[in-house]
Amino acid sequence: MADTEKLICSKCNKELELKRTNFSYLGHSFFTDLPKCPQCGMVYLSEEFVKGRMSEVEMQLEDK
Amino acid sequence: MVDEKLLYNTKSVCPICLKPIAAARVSRGKEIFLKKTCSDHGTFETIIWRGHYDINKWINIDEPELPEGLQCPTGCGLCADHLNSTCCVVLNITDRCNLDCNFCFADPENGANDPSFDEIKKSLYNLVSKGKSLVQLSGGEPTVRKDLVEIVRTAKQAGAKYVQLNTNGVLLGEDKKLVKDLAEAGLSFVFLQFDGTEDAIYEKLRNKPLLSVKQKAIENCAEFNIGVTLVATLVRDVNVSNIGQIINYALERIPHVRGVHFQPVSFFGRIPRMPSNNDRITIDELIYEIESQSKNIIKAENLLPSSCYHPLCSFHGDFVIHNGSVVPLQNFHKLEKEPNPTVNPADRNREFIGRRWERPASIKTDAFKPIVLKSASPQNTPKPCCGNIHDMDYFLKIAKSQSFTITSMLFQDAGNIDFSRLRKCSLHVYDNEKFIPFCSYYLSGWEQ
Repeated sequence: MADTEKLICSKCNKELELKRTNFSYLGHSFFTDLPKCPQCGMVYLSEEFVKGRMSEVEMQLEDK
Repeated sequence: MVDEKLLYNTKSVCPICLKPIAAARVSRGKEIFLKKTCSDHGTFETIIWRGHYDINKWINIDEPELPEGLQCPTGCGLCADHLNSTCCVVLNITDRCNLDCNFCFADPENGANDPSFDEIKKSLYNLVSKGKSLVQLSGGEPTVRKDLVEIVRTAKQAGAKYVQLNTNGVLLGEDKKLVKDLAEAGLSFVFLQFDGTEDAIYEKLRNKPLLSVKQKAIENCAEFNIGVTLVATLVRDVNVSNIGQIINYALERIPHVRGVHFQPVSFFGRIPRMPSNNDRITIDELIYEIESQSKNIIKAENLLPSSCYHPLCSFHGDFVIHNGSVVPLQNFHKLEKEPNPTVNPADRNREFIGRRWERPASIKTDAFKPIVLKSASPQNTPKPCCGNIHDMDYFLKIAKSQSFTITSMLFQDAGNIDFSRLRKCSLHVYDNEKFIPFCSYYLSGWEQ
């Protein structure tokens, strides 16, 4: 997704806004800014994010 | 008289004649022994657990009965009964050494014929799985070879993902150009023999003071961005009480030093005498000493058994340094219940090692900046100098640049070799076109 592209919540028809989002994995918690619907709170996880930073964090925390 | 309880039937060897014989793990009170009887040489008992923690919780794996007709250790070369594939491959490139230590698993014969460069090249191309292998160049002392740089380069050309140098560090400390050339040839990391923070320890184990040359070796590796892991051979009444100081020494040198690897002494190769049980440092004793001597900076609950070895063979702890604290990334009590079955444990272990022991190219080679340590607490309020460890981007940055590992390997010798452990070994020596578990390759009998 290009930075300038707008994302619209399919349920509320509202434009997503970058908001702090919390994650937890194996007892650790993290936050980062992600596109979020201001009305229903749904968060959009791009493929780039899931395969990139999120996957990297998982790898760092997983036991060998 | 404390009752003896049978825990597990296994097999071992007679420490005198090396004949395979039945053996059992038995408990007496908190202590656990490997007990075995040779019809020719009598009964032997070796302590394997001193009772600091619950061994059943630590082992916690399905340990089936050994199959009939097991060929350990003489038939080793990875047979169908072996349970793990290769994590790391040891390739011995020389029998020569520039030290004369009281303990040496390899017991090299100085002046013996080294393999030729062409023989080593052929071995490297045979043993390497392209883009995957971790090759440990070992010996003897591998830096005494004049063609070491070319060997490292060849290992990379053959497709090794990681090339590790197992060394006493003397020549790395004395010859900065050698370190520069090794870095340019693609050396990934150095496994540096580092038995303690006092010269008296080296005088006892290595017969000469070596601390300053070790320090210089670390500095030279830092300058050329080669990760260094300190490897301490622990010997009773010599350096067990120095464990905490070794950890502090390493922590003060992050990110140049990537971790500490403890090897309680094993009694194979060159040893001063037949060991007693008091000479043994068991895995639970080591964990206990790490926690107490590090003053709880490293906690026992953050040291975990490794999945590609038997739990009595190895453990590891994975940490990041944040705001002067040592923050653990894993906890024994919060382990994944079901590790991903699609990932081979040896592959997983190898990538862990590579990720942690190799220095990312982006790390600046600043001079050492000792950090003031305090007990681990990921909840510490961030100071202006540091990011917030819960910030995903900041965490990823420090996980790569400020990581630290505590690892350990307890090699087996003629006294404590246990075929159930041996079957799970994933550290293999490559020799004569075979991959041979480390502890069966170096197994040597004792003189009674």
